[in-house]
Amino acid sequence: MSIQINGEISIKGLPGSDGIAIGKVLVIDHKAKKIQPKKIKSESILTNLKQFASSRQKFLKELNELSNNLDQKTAGILETQKHIVSDIEIEQKINTAIEDEHYSVDYSIYKVFNEFIERLRESGSELFQQRIIDIENIRDRLIALACENEANIFEVEKGAILIVKEISPTDLISYHEKGISGLIMDRGGVTSHAALIAQSLNIPCIVSTKIAVQSASLAKQAIIDASNGELVLNPSKEKLSEFRKRIKKLKRARKVLKNSKAASETKDGVAFHLRANIEFTQELELAHRCGAEGIGLLRTEALLYEGFIKKSESEQDKFYEEILQNSSGPVTIRLFDVGGDKLNAHTPEEANPFLGWRGIRMLLDEKEMLISQLRAILKISGKFPNRVKILVPMISVFEEVIEVKRTIKQVKKALDKEGIEIDDSIQVGIMIEVPSAALLANHIAKEVDFFSIGTNDLTQYTLAVDRGNDQISKLYQQHNPAIWRLIKLTKEAADEHKIDLTVCGQLAGDVLGAICLIGMGITDLSMSPASISRVKEVLITRSREELSEISEYILSCKTTAEVQQFYEKWGKVS
Amino acid sequence: MIKKKVTILNSSGLHARPSAALVKLASKFKSDFYIHMYGYRVNGKSILGVMTLAAEQGAELVFEIDGSDEKEALKSILELVENKFGMVNE
Repeated sequence: MSIQINGEISIKGLPGSDGIAIGKVLVIDHKAKKIQPKKIKSESILTNLKQFASSRQKFLKELNELSNNLDQKTAGILETQKHIVSDIEIEQKINTAIEDEHYSVDYSIYKVFNEFIERLRESGSELFQQRIIDIENIRDRLIALACENEANIFEVEKGAILIVKEISPTDLISYHEKGISGLIMDRGGVTSHAALIAQSLNIPCIVSTKIAVQSASLAKQAIIDASNGELVLNPSKEKLSEFRKRIKKLKRARKVLKNSKAASETKDGVAFHLRANIEFTQELELAHRCGAEGIGLLRTEALLYEGFIKKSESEQDKFYEEILQNSSGPVTIRLFDVGGDKLNAHTPEEANPFLGWRGIRMLLDEKEMLISQLRAILKISGKFPNRVKILVPMISVFEEVIEVKRTIKQVKKALDKEGIEIDDSIQVGIMIEVPSAALLANHIAKEVDFFSIGTNDLTQYTLAVDRGNDQISKLYQQHNPAIWRLIKLTKEAADEHKIDLTVCGQLAGDVLGAICLIGMGITDLSMSPASISRVKEVLITRSREELSEISEYILSCKTTAEVQQFYEKWGKVS
Repeated sequence: MIKKKVTILNSSGLHARPSAALVKLASKFKSDFYIHMYGYRVNGKSILGVMTLAAEQGAELVFEIDGSDEKEALKSILELVENKFGMVNE
């Protein structure tokens, strides 16, 4: 009897980012991760020693906190763990590996622990075998703590398809730079951070595959058909040639990008603007190629993920300067939109982080961080006048608008005193992503220069659906009539007070969404660069009247299904 | 320096928690503490060292203690071994 490992396996997931890719399989399962020997320079020895010492301290602190509320037996187990973490032999050997052998901290920990693990394994005693897993876990936790801000990136063959349980945004960027051609993620929903980044980097991606990591361990090659949410492991020859043809076709279509230079107006001459949502300088080229008219949403959270928070204002300056220099048109910079957990590990865990201390709520409490970001943005606005806009995330009450405006005024004044040139008429707008802000839009409109509707969070908060939870992902409906009503309300407030309105969520980059938005008279849309061409294609072949017809209808719908049915009919008839 | 031969009495041997108890006690003394078993020699103040001996019930060990408080240390450690490392439910 033989186990068939070469047969074709098809695994279904949810489409995270459109596209097709064929490539070698690269499974990264963090538990089974092997750490490669890595030598360090002598000037890094001290840093590596410190990293090790602080990882032990952090781990002991974690264990102490854990054991506080535990029964005696469990506390006893943790006590043993503490002994292992503070083991003197381990300490000496790891320090020696770093100091004398010049191994990096992660490999030193890995190597020294493994010597002990090997000896236990060799002992053959059944009872002691069980402890190996515990010791491995301690080893891995120490490594993770020691390398907190340092990504652990594997070597990748160009064009490989990366299969993971989950992946951090920065790791995904690093793998993108190493040339992966696709991403499969077992966990997460379609709007998980990784999927959004995959979209903006134009990497085909399927999420929520659940069993891909375990299924792919023996697979060599795979096909990602992201729009159908299908991963094919060990594809047959027939399947490979079918998909190669499809890729060729797609490439040809992309090369032409026939509409990137076409005027952005509907058939009857109503102008619109399609801009790009980006987070990294690496995306600028794609945005340009796709014909984006500027950056409608520059996310800045990556600055925090990369540990910038501890870095100086001048490093932020460099990032903004690079973006402004390599783009044209307006650049809307959104202030840090993260939860408190990104600040430091000691912030207490929140039961509902999406309803918690994040976005402007956190920034107003952490004034130093807010001021340093505002300074960097205002300074760059002086160098590129009339191009920079400030976008404030997560506004839920009126007072926040007033307070953030007051802070901006203070920062402007301070810079003026220092003799630094700024764009004094810089536009300040807010994200409409919490339903309360949409409902109060007529009041808030008097205080700001523009609104930007973030449909992803607006959907999450309006329908009370955690967008990272794949169990309820069916309820995450951007086309739901309730969302359209809030958008309409916001549009009316913006019109009444003559301020600009843009939409920067996924709704803008989706054909049905874009059609309805233009139909409602919202002509400024920002989306992931890869979506621009597809959206433009439809918009330039239709008249405003046709688009309005559908947008009027959807506002009267009861369900998302009704919206979609009407849209399908509309597409066929007209 | 003193050396003393001991036999492990408790049923699950020197596994994680007995090792932890041994190391905790030994670390209170200034003297160096080494354990010999079948040609292996490990630091008795290192829990991973002690655990990797994988000493099961009946295993014969030699304790080697060297330092100013070696006598008190040996006495306390022997007591612990005789009390089966305080593992009541074994």
